Parts: sequence; structure tokens; C-alpha cells
Amino acid sequence: MSNADVRITAEPIDNHRCKFVVSEPVHAAGVRRFASAQDAKGSPLAEAIFAVPGAGVTEIIVSGNIVTVVKDNAAPWQAVGRAVGSAIRSALTVDVPAVAPARKPSPGDASAINDDALYERVAQLFDEQVNPMVARHGGRVELIDVQDAVVMLRMGGGCQGCGMADVTLRQGIEGMLAQHVPEVRGIVDITDHAQGANPYFQASKK
Amino acid sequence: MPRLLLLLPSTTYRTAAFVEAARRAGVDLTVASERPSTFEAANPAGLLTLDLAHPERAADEAHAFARQHPIDGVVGVDDDTAIVAAAVAERLDLKGNPVAAAEAARDKHRQRLLLAEQGVPVPGFALHGFDEDPEALARRVTYPCVLKPLRLSASRGVIRADDPAAFVRAHARLRAILESCDAAFLVEDFVPGYEVALEGLLVNRRLHVLALFDKPDPLDGPYFEETIYLTPSRVPKGLDSLIVQCAGRAVRALGLVEGAVHAELRYNDRGPWLIELAARPIGGRCSAVLRFGTGDGGRGTGTTSLEEIILRHALGMPIASLEREPRAAGVMMIPIPGAGVLQEVRGVAEARAVPLVEDVQITAHPGERLVPFPDGSRYPGFIFARGETPVAVEAALREAHGRLQFVLEPGSGAP
Repeated sequence: MSNADVRITAEPIDNHRCKFVVSEPVHAAGVRRFASAQDAKGSPLAEAIFAVPGAGVTEIIVSGNIVTVVKDNAAPWQAVGRAVGSAIRSALTVDVPAVAPARKPSPGDASAINDDALYERVAQLFDEQVNPMVARHGGRVELIDVQDAVVMLRMGGGCQGCGMADVTLRQGIEGMLAQHVPEVRGIVDITDHAQGANPYFQASKK
Repeated sequence: MPRLLLLLPSTTYRTAAFVEAARRAGVDLTVASERPSTFEAANPAGLLTLDLAHPERAADEAHAFARQHPIDGVVGVDDDTAIVAAAVAERLDLKGNPVAAAEAARDKHRQRLLLAEQGVPVPGFALHGFDEDPEALARRVTYPCVLKPLRLSASRGVIRADDPAAFVRAHARLRAILESCDAAFLVEDFVPGYEVALEGLLVNRRLHVLALFDKPDPLDGPYFEETIYLTPSRVPKGLDSLIVQCAGRAVRALGLVEGAVHAELRYNDRGPWLIELAARPIGGRCSAVLRFGTGDGGRGTGTTSLEEIILRHALGMPIASLEREPRAAGVMMIPIPGAGVLQEVRGVAEARAVPLVEDVQITAHPGERLVPFPDGSRYPGFIFARGETPVAVEAALREAHGRLQFVLEPGSGAP
């Protein structure tokens, strides 16, 4: 694959998080989250993104053809997005896998055990409370994974592409997680909202 | 932590920008919309349903809410919620505009009456009813003229007529667009000239200019679909201050005192003319082009968004800078490519690859029916660019737009 074959579309979620939708699969085996450059060792794609100068990348989540990048730098995505795109592109054109398989938790790995327990509790919350609520607007929220106490989710149905999806996420789901699973440290929405074909609320004013 | 009441209609493009600004500013946020969130019972302090169509009723509802969850500031994001924000501000004694001023900004006829009374240069105008005989009316008006609805935004329904036959056609079309919404419309003189837009913030009656935009594509009709906004403006030195003075006089004439304002003006050999003034920030996703403060020793990209400035002002929080970053910036509202159902958009990656282009956002979704002006007004997306000069930025926007291809479903042109 050459650099020119890879198409990448950046979709800023907010000033700290941006999804990069890649035309090629990046990581087919579930979800991988990298919370530091140290975590990224052995995964060329994550290593390259953490190394983007001045970006202040703090977290990367890779799932399928979507790379979600989190930064603590206040500069807008327009200023660093192109460099992140180049990093993704370069990692996909080498002969080694861009993302290494997730490491297996050792028996004494407390964080992995906690994530498993959190996953169960978050899944239960989504099943019993979150999804019945969003279903009233034809939506659904899928729990993708919990890694290092960060919840990764994907919205579907009426939520995908909905003009109020950020309100649902920040004023709804985030609040419920804070109340019922306070150990959760953050949420990452990996939805490709641009592909939402039936959003419940659609922006229509200039 | 101060609590902001953010009035977000469910049809706005502005949700993500304002929610993110609230997070950055570290404020408690209550989002109020005209339709209930399914999470309202789960987060009663953070979500609220208000009757945004009836400002006084909404103000009563907000007052009842504030008894349990005290509100420190209120922000509306569009023309309608600007009036609701004013009503809530009056009811709760918060920073904001008088309701009468916000209403005057919303109603194009009321606005022109007040501006003309105060000597602000506006096109000649007259209010007419749809019960008048259009052919008789067409014989009385002077040409060229512009037919305008009283309350629609984004130039929807605005049509130029150059002769009586065109007037009658435009009248029929406007009537169909408005259906039963409005019984009246404006007929204005068409003012030739170069159009600019001014983005400002009113702080205790004083107008702070946040940006002056050029609109380089001629807006001569027959429809008035906007495309490119570029800042800083290239209007001749001296004329820019006349434009700012004109906008300032308009603001005072309407009685606006606090918060965001967006003005559209034209200038020609007779000076600047006030075309529209709104008590709200720039629309759509265009605000993403504005960044304030200067990173990297004055050479870098600004770090504060327009939305953060607006909500900080509403809450009386410190604002680091009202000065736009030094680099040129521009946004293109992608022209509606035609009537029909959108199948796909090709060339987005190629458009993004144009030097200086920072983002291409396609907001229309596959399966969506695109409706051209003057009947529609929903742009299918936005292109953003930043560079050293407005000329370079404009060229980049046009180059990127040229690489996009909107594919409509065959045979889907007629609704």
C-alpha cells in the first residue's frame, strides 16, 4: 500500500478529541487504547502519533478503521490534524502491523481486573438505563470497551449524526456514569457521526 | 462553580461548540431545548425543556428551575433563542439584552424602522401583505428590488426582482416558501456594493469588534446564497472604521447592550449600508474559523473559541483576549449543489489535502434531500482554511471546493 492509497478524514469531537476515519482497516481485532507513549511501544501507529511534535497527545483509541486521538494541548485540531494524519499514513505503509495485539493481563494485573469489573457494571447500566432512554428517540449506545477506566462507546440509530448527540453524551450518559459508576475516568465516543443516515435531530439552520 | 443556562434549539449546528466551550471554561451547564431530552429525569440540573416559541413562558419556566438550581448566566445561540435569553435575563436579573431590543433584531421590519428613525443608512423598504394584489404591487415598486421574509434566516426566501414580471414570480415563490407562517413581507431597494460581515461582542453597551469578514463572492441575486467569509477584511483603510461606526450606530438604535452581535453590511460610493443586524453569533459552523488570543509568541493559532468568549462574558468570567489571532482565516459554506437526494460526497480527502485547508466538514448525510436556495438554506458542509494572507486562504477554499463532488441519486431532483 502506498501513502497515496490511504484516505483519512478528521472529525473533531471537541477541542481535545478527534476521530480520524481511515479508508483502510487499522486494527481489526477489537479495540486498543494507548494511554501513554510507553503503552504504544510495539505499535508503530500509536508510536508515531504520540511522537507528533507539539500535539500533546495523551491518549489514542484504535478500533476498526477509526483512530480516536485525545490531546491536552489547547490548539485547535486544524493545527495538528494534518501531522496526525501523516503519522497514521506512514504507519500503515510499513510491513509490520500498525497496531500490536493487546497484551494479555497477568494474574496480578490489578488494572485489567478493574476494567473487567467496570465493563460489567457499565454494560449493565447501558442495558438497564441508558439504552431504554435513547431508544425513545430511536437511538442506541453500544459499549465497545473499558480500558484504564475509560469507556469507549458507539452511538447508533437516531443518535448517530444527531445534532444533540453531544448533549446526550455529556449531559446524559456522562452524568449517569458519574452517578452509578464513579470510578469511570472518561468517555470516548468512537461513532462515525457523518454516516448517520437517520439522525433524530438534524441541524437545519444556517 | 457558576451555572450557565444554554438555550439550544434541537435544530442548531452549534451544540458541540458550546458544550465544549462550557467544559473548557469549567462551568456547570444546563442545556435547555424545546424538546425534552430522554435523560432529563436522570439529570434534572443539567437538562431542561423550555417553550422556546414563547419567551415569556420560557422565562417563567427558567425562573422556577432557578429556584432549585441557581443560574448565573444565560446564552441563546440563534435569532429565536436570543429573544428567550433576553426574557430569561430580565426575569432572573442576569446580564443580557432588553427583550424589546432582541425582538427588534429578530423582526426585519421593526429593525429597519428603528434604524431608519435613528439615521442609520438602510435600503429603502416597505412592508406589504400577501393579501395585496401582486400585479398591482409590481407596478408600484421601484426596481431593482429585493423581496424578503420577515423572520427567516440564512437568506432563505430572499429574492431579487428586476422588473414587474420577475416581481410577480418572486412573490409567488416567497408565498409558497412561507406557507402560512407570515402574512407580510418586505420589499427593499437593492443596494449594489461589496458585502462584509462584522462579528462583535457587546460589553456594557460598548461594541468590541471580534472580526470583520469579506464576502468576496458577489451577492447580486436573484438569490443570496452565501459562500466565503474571509478575515481580516481587505476593505480600504478608513472605510473599515466607517463600517464599524455604522454597525455601532445600528446596535444603539436597536437598544442592544450585551452579548454577541452579527451584522451584514454593504458599501459603495455612498458609504456603508446596514443590511442585517442579529443579536447572536455567526451561524452554522462558521465560528470554528475564529480563534482568539495568540499562541506561540503571537505567531501561532489562537486558543480561545468564540463560544468560550460568549459564555464567559455571560457569566462575568475573565476573558484573556478579544483579539483574533494574527493569521488570515476563511470558511466556505459549501454551495448547495442542486436539488435531489444525496448519495455520496467524493473528493473529501483530496479537498483536505489542499495546502492551508484545515478541515472539510460534510454535514449533509447520505439519503438527505438537498434543497437549493431560495427554498432551502441548509448548506451541505463547510471548508475551513488558515494562512498568511486572505488571498491565499480564499484560493485554498476555492481549490478545495473544486475537488468535491456531490453525487445525487438519479431522478431524485423533484420532491
